Amino acid sequence: MLNCIDNSGATLVECVANLRMKRHGKVGDRIIVVVQKSRSMGDSGPGGTSAAAANKVRRGDIRHAIIVRCAKKVQRKDGMVVRFDDNACALIGKNGEPLGTRINGVVGAELRAKQQSKILSLASMHV
Amino acid sequence: MTSPVCQIRPITIGNNFLRRKPHQLPHKSFWSSSKAAAAIANTFPSPSSTDSLPPSSLLPSSDKRLRSPWRILHDRPNSPSKRIKTYPPPPSSPKLHPFPLADHTAAHIAELDPNGTRTRLFDRNNPDVPNPGDILLATFKTGDPFAGVCLSIRRQGVDTAILLRNRLLMTGVEMWVKIYSPNVRGIEVVKRAKKKARRARLYYMRKPKHDKGSVEGEVEEYLRRRRLIRSGAAMGVKGEKMTGKRGR
Repeated sequence: MLNCIDNSGATLVECVANLRMKRHGKVGDRIIVVVQKSRSMGDSGPGGTSAAAANKVRRGDIRHAIIVRCAKKVQRKDGMVVRFDDNACALIGKNGEPLGTRINGVVGAELRAKQQSKILSLASMHV
Repeated sequence: MTSPVCQIRPITIGNNFLRRKPHQLPHKSFWSSSKAAAAIANTFPSPSSTDSLPPSSLLPSSDKRLRSPWRILHDRPNSPSKRIKTYPPPPSSPKLHPFPLADHTAAHIAELDPNGTRTRLFDRNNPDVPNPGDILLATFKTGDPFAGVCLSIRRQGVDTAILLRNRLLMTGVEMWVKIYSPNVRGIEVVKRAKKKARRARLYYMRKPKHDKGSVEGEVEEYLRRRRLIRSGAAMGVKGEKMTGKRGR
C-alpha cells in the first residue's frame, strides 16, 4: 500500500508488481498499482481543471506508477542515508509521462539518477 | 602429478655429480676428445677442471639431456668453504605499529579534517558538544542544507555521523550525515534542547506523540539572528576573524 501524492485523483494505491525486478521497490522504480482509494469529484476542490484531473483514475484501475519516497533507508554515493516516514508514488501513463500535473510533497532525489526528472521538476521539494 | 618428480630429478642428478671427483666426470673425456672442445679451449685460455665447461649455447643440440647437471656444476663450484650470506629479518610490523587500526583512523581523520574543527565539535570533552535532542543544521557543498532534531550521534572514528529528523511538507524525513564527509560544509547548532535528554538515542521521537514536527521556524530565526550578528561584527570589530561556519 502506498500513498499517491499527485493530483491524478488516487490517494491510496496497492502495488501489485515491480517492473524493475521481482524484489522490493526503491525510489525511482516503476511499479504496477491498483487504485484502492480515489478522491471523489466533490473533494477535488474548486476549479474545473482539478475536477477533470480527479476523473483520470477511479477505484479499481490498474496503472503504472513511480515510487518517489520509501521508508527504507537508502544510502547515497556520498554516504548520506535518507529515509522517509511513508511510502509514496506518482501515477504515470504507459508512455512514462506523469498523469497528474502537480506533486504535493517531498520526493527523493534518487529520481534524477533514474531519469525521472519530469516528476522531480513537478515536485515541490526534493531531498 | 608428474611435475614435482621432474623438478626434483635434475637436483638429484646434480648431487651425484657433485659427489664425484673431477676426474671421474664422464663428460670431460668426451669434450677433450671432440674437436669442438679443442676449439673452445682455444677461445678460453684457462681450461681448468670444471670451470672450462662451455656455455650452454655452444652445446650440441643432441646433448640436451646433459645440459642441466652441467649448468648446476657450473653455477656451484666444488668449494665447501663458501659462506652462505644471511640477511637480517625485515622489521616487524606489529612492533612498528602496535595499534594499526587506531593509527589508520587517525591518519584518515587528519586527511579529511586538517583543522580538527569537526573532531573538536563532536568531542565529548567539548562543553559545547551537540547532544541528542538539539536542533542542528548541516550545510552541504552540493545541495540544500538540511536541518532537524538530532536523534542520535554515532561516534565511530571516521564514520562518525549524526541522525537528523525533520518534517518536510507533512512528511517525516530522516537523514544520516557523516560529519567527516567532504561534501559537508558545516554543522551548526540551531537550538539546544531545554533539558538534556536522558537517552542517547531518541528514536521514540518518531512516534506522533513525541514528534517535534517541523523545525523550519527555529532555523529561520537562527539564520536571521546569525545574519544580524555577522553584519554587526563586520561593522564593529574589524580584523577579528569570525569563528567560521561552525557557530556556537
